Order: sequence, then structure tokens, then C-alpha cells
Amino acid sequence: MDAMTSKERVEKLFKKEPIDVMPVFSGQGMVTIQAIEKMGIRFAQIHTSAEYMARSAMTTAEIFGFDAVIVPYDMCTVPEALGRGASLYENADGILYPTVPSKWKTLDEVELDSEFMSKGRMPVVDDAIRILKSSSDGKFAVGSWVLGPFTMAGQLLELDVLLKGLKKEKEKVEGFLSTMTDLVIEVAKHYQGLGVDYMNIREMGSGTDIISPRMWKMLVLDNLQKVFSALRSPKILHICGSTDMIIEMMNDCGADALSVDQKNNVGESRRKLGDDVLLLGNFDPYGTMAKMDASEVESVIKKCIDDGVDAVWPGCDLWPELKKENVDAYVRTVREYGKKASPAVGRI
Amino acid sequence: MGKEELRNELLKDLSDAVVDMDEDKAKETSQRVLDEGLNAYDAIMNGLAAGMVIVGELYDKHEYFVPELLMCADALYAGLDLLKPHIKPEDLGESAKGQVVIGTVQGDVHDIGKNIIKMMFEVAGFTVHDLGRDVPLEKFVEEQMRTDSDIVALSAMMTTTMMGMKKVVQMIKEKNPDVAIMLGGAPVTKDVTDLFGADGYAESAGNAVQEAIKMISRLREIQK
Repeated sequence: MDAMTSKERVEKLFKKEPIDVMPVFSGQGMVTIQAIEKMGIRFAQIHTSAEYMARSAMTTAEIFGFDAVIVPYDMCTVPEALGRGASLYENADGILYPTVPSKWKTLDEVELDSEFMSKGRMPVVDDAIRILKSSSDGKFAVGSWVLGPFTMAGQLLELDVLLKGLKKEKEKVEGFLSTMTDLVIEVAKHYQGLGVDYMNIREMGSGTDIISPRMWKMLVLDNLQKVFSALRSPKILHICGSTDMIIEMMNDCGADALSVDQKNNVGESRRKLGDDVLLLGNFDPYGTMAKMDASEVESVIKKCIDDGVDAVWPGCDLWPELKKENVDAYVRTVREYGKKASPAVGRI
Repeated sequence: MGKEELRNELLKDLSDAVVDMDEDKAKETSQRVLDEGLNAYDAIMNGLAAGMVIVGELYDKHEYFVPELLMCADALYAGLDLLKPHIKPEDLGESAKGQVVIGTVQGDVHDIGKNIIKMMFEVAGFTVHDLGRDVPLEKFVEEQMRTDSDIVALSAMMTTTMMGMKKVVQMIKEKNPDVAIMLGGAPVTKDVTDLFGADGYAESAGNAVQEAIKMISRLREIQK
């Protein structure tokens, strides 16, 4: 029997159907300096060009043998479209991800432009998805992501105002989060409408390093349930930072899979959730791909698999300035050590 | 009630006001401290700041989270704003003339941790030059030279922006090797601090100021 295509492998993983080997992919950005240099461009140029965005994703996947491509890369596209701006750091040395320069300073300032989907760089991301869908020709799975309602709120409104508001202006903040939920659904459904093969909701600012499990239950859970009930499968919930205390509530949100970072005790999470839940994670992308000696990578990846993930995902975006030999070791180890069945997904 | 008894009661009320996130109580108690003629610096350090130390412990124990931390800080500032104009210069010691440049490095817009550290410097009597967040690296060098500050405190919330700190340390040390540089933020460890050639490491808000005072004392020993 012929080996599966990358796209088939990813699709079947999310359906929990048997696959030939664990796929190598992610729900966060996977653009690398090796691809950027091969294209002869700079990182800062990618953010405003659909062609560069799509090609850098494809080139990265081809160089390293990934099973998927994913866009966008930065977290400012929606805030920028809503008038909050985007700092692209076009003249900075090295790689800096875009940031939002002018968040709303009070809840009273919040005003959503109903035409935001056509503003700023939103059309660039749309075109990048279209290019990936047409040029990957079924070779790679095409993924996308949107920030979750709570994290999106923190990208649009000053974080201290949001966090203090959770206690001081609870009703107002709840209303704002509800608006964010509708916004997230609109963007995620739009990308699904463009044909992406999987959708990751990154509620990355809601770990228990920041808010309590009690507050998470009150202000994050319901909104995520609304998001996931509005989206078609495959849909993933990713939260980075501390998630041990909320992993069971994460599993109540209605996602097909959960993604966590290196702070999660995956062995323990697997015990709590059982073998039927798709669990993705959880290596430190910067430490493992950019800092570590290549000889140490294999043991990190094997530990993720031994702890019980169904696919080895980085805990965040791959930092573009990574070592090629480390990524090669990551891919090689997944292909070899991931031949055996994982807890939720069998092998053909 | 004797003066010592009154002092103890008001210090406890100030500490409780911070821990309970009660801005009104912090203001009222601070006003009482002034009305009773008690020492303002004592009230700040052993009342308000002592409360913030308890808040730090509650955060470490996962009883308090960031929203609680921010509201405790608001209560502390409510008291500090009243008490600070009444501090006697002789109470301040080493930190009296201490100046610190503080900011979050370029590419990083997370400033909650930086603002808590800034508050602790203010509590301890330092003059703080806050550059804000997403600060271009050379701006730290310029501001240190402009203000002749003893300390530059750099914050980064992300591993990836932390790398910018290394460049700032090099740039400042080239221009003025006597400046003490302190690093802090989620990804920063003692090892990173050593590797980047910085002088101090803020593990927590409480530790940042103690470390800063130690750094200033060391510098002044060297300069004698």
C-alpha cells in the first residue's frame, strides 16, 4: 500500500482513524529562516505580501518535510483591521514579530468596524490561504488559526484594563468578551469558508499563570463553547502557559483536539482525559529548535510521544531563527518513533 | 492607645488594605498615619510594601492571579500617593539618590511585570525613568546617559524578545561600565543574566529592589 499523503495523514488523525505514521505539523506558525533566506527576502516583508506568506510556508514545509502549512504568522491582523495598528519592525535587526501599538485604553472606547474583514492585512491572509489551497494541490494540509475571545480581547484592549475589569467592571467585560466571541467566530468561519483543512483557536492568554481556574470557568469556558459549536471540524483548542489546572475544562469546550505547551504535565493530562482525547504538544519551540544541541532533540521529542501526545506540536510558533539540524532531528524522530499507535490514533 | 500600639495597628491596616485590594482603606489609613504624625517611610515600607510581599506569596501559592495582583498594586499606589510627599530624605539611605531607567524591550508589549517592579522601585524611594514598552534598544542607552542613572532594568516577557537584552547590556557596558544592569521577566533566569553579562536578576518584585540596593552599594564601594 502506498504511503498516505500529508493531507490524508492530518485529516485522518483528526478523525482518529488509523494512519501510517504520526504527522509533523502544528497549529501555530511554522515559517523558518531557511525558507526566508532561500526566497531572498526579509521576515518583515512577509507580513504584507500574500505571495511571500504562502511561499514561505510552502518552502518551509518542503525543506523540512512537514505535513502541513499554516498562516497567518502574526497576531495583529485582526487588531490592525479594527484600527489598532501594527508595528512590523521593518528596520529592526533580526526577527521581531509584529505587535499592536495602540490598544483601546478603556472599554468605553471600544468600537468595532463592521467592515473589518476587508481592512488592513485581512485580505492578504485571505489571499495567502487561497494561494496555499491552489498551489499545495492536496499535497499539504492547509491550516489556519484565530486567537480565542479572551486573548483577542487582550490584543485589542490594554491588558491591565481587561484584567482589572474582570473584577471591577464584570458586566461590561462580559459584554466585551461576548462581542469578541462573535468576532472570533466570524473570522474562523471565514477561513473555514476559504477551505482550510483545520482550524486552531489559540486562547493563549488564558492560562493559569494569568487568571484563576475559577475565572476561567466564568469568563472563558462558555465563550469557547460558543466558538467551537459554531465551527466545523477539525477544530483545535490551544492554550500555552500553565494548563494543568484547567485541562479538563478545556476538554469540555467542544474542540476535536487539545494543544498545550511545555508547562503542561502531559502524562498527567492524559491520565485525566483518557485515551480517546486527541492531545497535541508539547515541546518548547525556542529551547528545542533554536538553543539546544541537535543531539538532545531526539529525547525531547520521544518524551512528548511517551507522555501520550497524538502528534508532537511545538508549544507556540516555531521561532524562525532555528537550527536546521534540530528541525531535521524533530522530523526524523517523529517519523521513526511515531510509527507506533498513539493513545487516540491507531496505525494501519 | 500608645504610639507603638497605634503604629502597629496602622501598619497592619495598610498591609491588609493592599492584600484585600481595598483602595479606600489604603487612602484612609495613610491619611491617619499623616494625621497622627507617624513616619511616612515606615508606613510605606512596613505597611504597604509588607502587604505586597504577602500578595507575592499568595500569587506563588496560586491563591492570587494577575488580576488580583493588579488590584493590590492599585491599593498600594492609593496609599503611596498620599504618603510619598512626606518621606524624610534621611530615611531613604542608599536608595535616596538612586535612579533607575526601566522598560520592556523592543518587540514586547507586555508591561504588567515591568510596572510592578517599577512600583517597588518607587516604594523604595528610587527616581524611576520609565521608558514604557516596545522600547528600541538604543533608547535605553540614551536615557541612561541623559539621566546618569545607576541602574538600567530591562524586562522581556517572551524568550524571543529576551535576546534583545543581550545587545542592550553590551551597548550600555561599552559606553559606561559602571552602570548596573538588571534583567527580569518570565523567561529570564540567573543563567541568562550571567550569560548576557548583566549584574542583577529580578526573580520577583520583592527581590528586584533588594537586588537593586545591593547593586548600588557594590557600585559605590567600587567608586570610593
